[in-house]
Amino acid sequence: MNNSAQTQSIDPALYATATEAIRAEAKRVLEAGTVAAVVGWQAGRRKGSALPAIVTDPTKADTLVFSPACVNNLALYLTKAKKEIRQKGRLAIVVKGCDLRALVGLMGENQLKREELHIIGVVCPGVQGRGEATMAAKCRECAVHTPEGTDVTVGSLPDLPRFTPVESEELARLEAMTPAERWAFWKEHFARCIRCYACRQLCPFCYCEQCLCDRNRPQAVETTPRPAGNMAWHIVRAMHLAGRCAGCAECERACPMDIPLNLLNRKMAKELKELYGHEAGFEVQEKGPLAQYREDDDQSFIK
Amino acid sequence: MHGHKEKHAFEPKIVAFVCTWCTYAGADLAGTSRLQYPANTRVVKFPCTGRIDPVFILRAFQKGADGVLVSGCHPGDCHYMAGNFHARRRFAAFRQLLDFIGVDLNRLQFSWVSAAEGGKWVEVVTELTERVRAMGPMPEFRELEAEECWSGAIDTPELKEAYETIP
Repeated sequence: MNNSAQTQSIDPALYATATEAIRAEAKRVLEAGTVAAVVGWQAGRRKGSALPAIVTDPTKADTLVFSPACVNNLALYLTKAKKEIRQKGRLAIVVKGCDLRALVGLMGENQLKREELHIIGVVCPGVQGRGEATMAAKCRECAVHTPEGTDVTVGSLPDLPRFTPVESEELARLEAMTPAERWAFWKEHFARCIRCYACRQLCPFCYCEQCLCDRNRPQAVETTPRPAGNMAWHIVRAMHLAGRCAGCAECERACPMDIPLNLLNRKMAKELKELYGHEAGFEVQEKGPLAQYREDDDQSFIK
Repeated sequence: MHGHKEKHAFEPKIVAFVCTWCTYAGADLAGTSRLQYPANTRVVKFPCTGRIDPVFILRAFQKGADGVLVSGCHPGDCHYMAGNFHARRRFAAFRQLLDFIGVDLNRLQFSWVSAAEGGKWVEVVTELTERVRAMGPMPEFRELEAEECWSGAIDTPELKEAYETIP
């Protein structure tokens, strides 16, 4: 067990090799003209930071990097919400294991076609969470270090220690509470929400052209950042992602108010796995668990 | 004919989302059969349970419902073939989410009531009404409705002092 999970403890040479391989592959596909652009990460201005990049010129392929700072889920850039990128033509995308799950989910929802993508998978030992040196909570219990079913996979996996699964522990702690305690927990968290919708903007699955929560007449969810509307927004958000969310935890990373949003996603994923044996993002499925049914589904809760 | 009407200290508000083909007809049958049941239920008619969005349930609670009943056709009897099957999965997930948020699931009831089951409708409604009555009013969502994020905190001594110093 390793409680103080650090990304620094991972050999920097691993990231350097992955970076080299990504650059070489990006250069190759761009020069061959099989793709119009490569979606990847480039170094940020601040040392040890990274940001999403779209490279169209083979000579610029050397700007791509892979480092513990490559936290963004790039699958977002292929959704309907970012139309201008899709228009460029066939695309290559660099994905970590968790990002690939989102891509697979999007393919299942007919948002992407596998043949229109060149997927460069990168074996990811983990990326940083809040605070530069610590490893993100999702990476501590990652089961998809090595992306499967990509066109190319680069990098290699070091021997990782077993990290403390902080998120599972928190989930178990909440589940053990009484409903009133849970209500108090979430009420406190949601009261802080400023409704910036960063969680929605970053989510690869929030690609609806008009969100239910932006509609009035009839208004489903109050738009003012008041506790009532906040609670409704987060419930609706969790419900709309149930069975679709692939657990990239971008919502939680982007939240400026530190609301533990991934707990809701994790909980819904867990319930749907228990109820219908469904796990999002491992294979392209035409229909999610809430879009299909079996005649013998459990109905013990219905009188 | 009319039974003795009991006076209660608390009359819960119950919203019933029902499908027009089965439960609404079932409730109608209860009425035409002159069956007595508590008048706390407000029935909202939908074409199918598949049309009932979880947001409606949320909205009912926010606007002051103490209990919510969702009722439709028995599996296999749906007028639209599969609406209630889809609804069943959706509500199975939704009630788990509400439970995780901290809503007492005793306030939320799902049932299948066919057009021939006037008696079952009476039974379901009476049971839910009595259960919610025993639980008392549902304060959670209503308190949220009344709350402002900044109320109270806007009146801190530091802020007042800062305000006073504005020339």
